[in-house]
Amino acid sequence: MTMRRAPHKNRNRSKRRDKGGWKKLLWVKQSYPDNYTDEETFLDHLQRNPRLRPYEFWPLVADSMVIVQQVCTMIIFVCCFSGIIQDRVSPVTVVSWGTLGTILGWVLWDIWVGQEEALKATVQVEAKPSEDTPPVGLGLQLAMTSMSTTNGSPQKHHSRQNSASSSRLGTLLDGKVAPADAKGAGPTYSYYPPFGVTASRFSPRNQQRLATLKSALLIYCALLGLSPILKSLTKSTASDSIWAMAFWLMCINVIFFDYGGGVGGTNFPASLSTNAALMASTVLASRLPSTTHVFSLTLFSIEVFGLFPIFRRYLRHFSFPGHVMVTVALVVGASAGTTLSMGSGGWKSGLAGVVLGCLLTSFAMGICSWWLIGLQRYKNEIHGPWDPARPIVRGT
Amino acid sequence: MPYNIAMVCDFFFPQPGGVESHIYQLSSKLIDRGHKAVVITHAYKGRTGVRYLTNGLKVYHVPFFVVYRETTFPTVFSFFPIFRNICIRENIEIVHGHASLSSFCHEAILHARTMGLRTVFTDHSLFGFADAASILTNKLLKFALSDVDHVICVSHTCKENTVLRASLDPLMVSVIPNAVVADNFRPLASTASNLDANTFPGEPKALEPSHQRLGPNDTITLVVISRLFTNKGTDLLIAAIPRILADHPNVRFIIAGSGPKAIDLEQMLERNVLQDRVELLGPVRHEEVRDVMVRGHIYLHPSLTEAFGTVIVEAASCGLYVVCTRVGGIPEVLPAHMTVFAKPEEDDFVAATNRAIAALRANKVRTEKFHEQVKMMYSWTDVAERTERVYDGISGVLSEEEFYGQPIGWSATKGRSGAQSFALIDRLKRYYGCGIWAGKLFCLCVVVDYLIFVFLELWAPRANIDIARSWPKKPPAKAGISNADGPVEVGRRRSTRRDHWKGNPIG
Repeated sequence: MTMRRAPHKNRNRSKRRDKGGWKKLLWVKQSYPDNYTDEETFLDHLQRNPRLRPYEFWPLVADSMVIVQQVCTMIIFVCCFSGIIQDRVSPVTVVSWGTLGTILGWVLWDIWVGQEEALKATVQVEAKPSEDTPPVGLGLQLAMTSMSTTNGSPQKHHSRQNSASSSRLGTLLDGKVAPADAKGAGPTYSYYPPFGVTASRFSPRNQQRLATLKSALLIYCALLGLSPILKSLTKSTASDSIWAMAFWLMCINVIFFDYGGGVGGTNFPASLSTNAALMASTVLASRLPSTTHVFSLTLFSIEVFGLFPIFRRYLRHFSFPGHVMVTVALVVGASAGTTLSMGSGGWKSGLAGVVLGCLLTSFAMGICSWWLIGLQRYKNEIHGPWDPARPIVRGT
Repeated sequence: MPYNIAMVCDFFFPQPGGVESHIYQLSSKLIDRGHKAVVITHAYKGRTGVRYLTNGLKVYHVPFFVVYRETTFPTVFSFFPIFRNICIRENIEIVHGHASLSSFCHEAILHARTMGLRTVFTDHSLFGFADAASILTNKLLKFALSDVDHVICVSHTCKENTVLRASLDPLMVSVIPNAVVADNFRPLASTASNLDANTFPGEPKALEPSHQRLGPNDTITLVVISRLFTNKGTDLLIAAIPRILADHPNVRFIIAGSGPKAIDLEQMLERNVLQDRVELLGPVRHEEVRDVMVRGHIYLHPSLTEAFGTVIVEAASCGLYVVCTRVGGIPEVLPAHMTVFAKPEEDDFVAATNRAIAALRANKVRTEKFHEQVKMMYSWTDVAERTERVYDGISGVLSEEEFYGQPIGWSATKGRSGAQSFALIDRLKRYYGCGIWAGKLFCLCVVVDYLIFVFLELWAPRANIDIARSWPKKPPAKAGISNADGPVEVGRRRSTRRDHWKGNPIG
């Protein structure tokens, strides 16, 4: 039995030439021992780092701005809270500025969506219609969902459905073609009235704006009604627990935030993260003295954690300078806010904080990017025939 | 030289499966060759203690905590006392572990080395390197295989994978394929002919043209037998079925198996209204597989990863033409005239199936010859013979040069020829190389294991453990062994007997 299998490697080599050599086959009886390793073909199909895309420094720094934005937003929110609870800032001021900003952002967003629609329409006329019409009216829908998961009152559910359906209606009317029809219908379907809805006198875009307005109003009223409940929600819980809980919830928000999300991809930017932030703001709000305080902080948190990320996402998509500017503004705001709320105040210390914060942030961004690029050396991804194949299936 | 071998694995009967039947077939063939084999596995529901299977194969069902899919909880040390007891009781010399997901087997290899036994590990599966589960499994495998005498893989692809995963020397990894019991997978016609004339197994087939020639309008049946999981390529199958059926009016499908993808399959059938052309059988038992296979002409195997793919050998043995994806170890398994290979893509898979149907219609494929050919290629006797050579190599019966094909040369971790040293310090050296942190952790485990061993030797001395009486055996039937081997066989048998008489203290 052992005679059959040639034992010596050198003899194997000579045999190799004689008989065509070893084959990587199991069904032929070969004159090689079972542990024979063919040096020429062994690990032939091994691929190392086949899809390695080396990072470059500046793009990496630019990409890291998304994280900086989220962290700074969080810090600003905490600073606002600390200002409110220490009676340094009036909650109404905070929420007024916040709302002003939100309205401004919404106007910009509306313009961008309009531009995109127009672009898409022209593309549709020129070529085959693309499949993804961007989801519109998503912001309020998101906020409402988050709210209803946070406190889940029947009223909320009702309003959420209302908002969802209205915004869906908006999509249907606004997006020239409903997504489902986009494939089959030709470019001629520029306006497609849904079943059971009579054509209204508003244009689709205006109708969508109205729907958004309605949702906003609903959120506003609901929050007004809920504020007293929220205020006494965690009265029986010690403040220490609240601080700890809020801290961890905010950590969850920062960690699970959907940093990679693009425009029009998923409707909900990481619901876990948003929900965590809103819950944090709810528990924090319950430490505040009056209903106005609670209302203001909750509304502010919805604006900051629910709507602002969507705006930032669109901003990044449409205007890179704007993206950088917002980042800088956020860093400045966060560092100034931190120093102001920690120290005794005064614009000098604020300025020092801003300088320090900006330096620190840019330094951290640079160091981290450089570090990540350095770590690429250790990347060792192994692929080979043993990996499960990725089936290519058409039509899915 | 007969060995006393313990096969250790989490997976064994009553659970059905490829690894399970591999262990059973290999053990019973080794017993036929005059060795003694016992199987150590964990207790299954309604099955604890010691059982005997056919052929005197003894199975120890050790009570153990099962975590997930019949895999025991990895406790590293808790298995040692009972394992030591079994090994001493059964005079075990070689511990042969199976399957890389079986923590039982890894622990057994560690303990066996501590006890000074030879170890072999058989890997039955392929693992990637990318996801977290694989990384963890690979690290554990590296730990278990740092100090193993030899590794057996079921295909060359599997060998490459295992060598990479456990950082092994390729020379200490043998490739010994799985096999099939060809008699259990006969095509329809050949059973009939064999019933006619059992005395001349070769002749009736030559006389009788047996296989119907397929006309252009005869129905061709495609068979799929697989668990319906994503990694078995069910998505590919779901995408391909409507296209194949649309191309060929006289084609039917038989699909057997169950799994999470069954619902997708049924939905596809309903959407395309194909219920009358596709027969879903649900789960079938392994004994019934042959009866399902012989109803068809072509076997489709859309799997996305496969270490060996026993089922395509079974299908070929049943006389089916095989269409399979070119993944894992599959290209090594069957010769080109039995198979049509496809890329794991919908278009290519459909094209390959079309080619297979066309070839069958043109009567280009001699499927009636497949059974005899497969019988020549794969047999468990051959597997047992080759495994025996591994045992010879690790226990030093074969010289190092003969076994490894080249002089290995002196190294700190190798002892005498071809055998790894048992000295604790040498073993620690092997484990230490596993990684910066892991190496130290593994060394700690090995030291603790050694201390437990010393403690057990004091606490439950060997002298107090009864030696089990072995199953009374008839002289092994020398089927297919040439006469020249005869005397050796007899001598082997005698020595077995003597050992066992010596080993029985009570008598």
